[in-house]
Amino acid sequence: MKGIIFALGAGMFITLQGVANAFIGTDIGTWNAAFITQAGGFAAAMIILILLRDTGWKQLLKAKPLYLASGAFAAVILFGNMEAIYQLGATVTVAVILIAQLALTFAADARGWFEIEKKEIQLPQILGCLLMAGGVIMLQL
Amino acid sequence: MVIGMALAVAAGLLVGLQNIFNSRVQTAAGQPATTALVLGLGALASFLLGLLFTGGSMFSWDALEWWHPLLGFAGVGVVICVVQAVKRLGPTVAVSIIMVSQLGFAVLWDALGVFGLEQSPPSWNQAAGLLMIAGGILVFKISPKKGITSSKQPGRMSWQHDSAEERRKKA
Repeated sequence: MKGIIFALGAGMFITLQGVANAFIGTDIGTWNAAFITQAGGFAAAMIILILLRDTGWKQLLKAKPLYLASGAFAAVILFGNMEAIYQLGATVTVAVILIAQLALTFAADARGWFEIEKKEIQLPQILGCLLMAGGVIMLQL
Repeated sequence: MVIGMALAVAAGLLVGLQNIFNSRVQTAAGQPATTALVLGLGALASFLLGLLFTGGSMFSWDALEWWHPLLGFAGVGVVICVVQAVKRLGPTVAVSIIMVSQLGFAVLWDALGVFGLEQSPPSWNQAAGLLMIAGGILVFKISPKKGITSSKQPGRMSWQHDSAEERRKKA
């Protein structure tokens, strides 16, 4: 039960953050909003890191540079999210982002990208994709 | 409209990619250090891209309110909720509920018109579309074992991958 509440809470926080970012982006600029909210989040994460006396950062260089650099994607993710919310509203934006996200992971699994063990595509995945695509078309009608 | 769609697709693809890459960093360095690195790099990249595309506006902060940076703290709430949900429910179920929850709350925010969103109560079309998408997510993710969602495989289908600690427990 607690797990379900946490999962629902995650969905709430993620979407609320998106619309709140878009809101302040209209005042201070979209890139400015992307910068300032992530800088705030970074400060919070650093405080937690220090309070936990976490030493994980010493191991960071064990990961490949490409994987380490992926944090920079968030700039484009936040910018895209905000601009899409301005144009499409929250519902359609979230739906499209979720589907694109599933499609990417699906392709990575099916093609074995990034050292992922290749997996066979099965009927449920194809069915799920068709349902989701149909759903987005319905949203737009 | 078209540009908005294209940007949403780009953002979604990058989220998927970032989840895979972050899970690799997490395996090496753990959750707290990974979170700090991702947010720090994101802030840096946002500043540089803002500078590139808008020039001087990255130095004009007249409209900044004291609570704007605090919005970033919600990101820490996201991480805590996701980690706890995955710990209690397993990645597949947790991620499915998180995704469906995102759709539900997005509809709610649009319906309420919070944070300057154009208030738009959900229509029947929308309700049907959302049910189809939610159903699609569930069918996609909760499939027979040994398939794409098999939880022992690294980099399997999921919104957020296991933390290093979870992996060690499973091993």
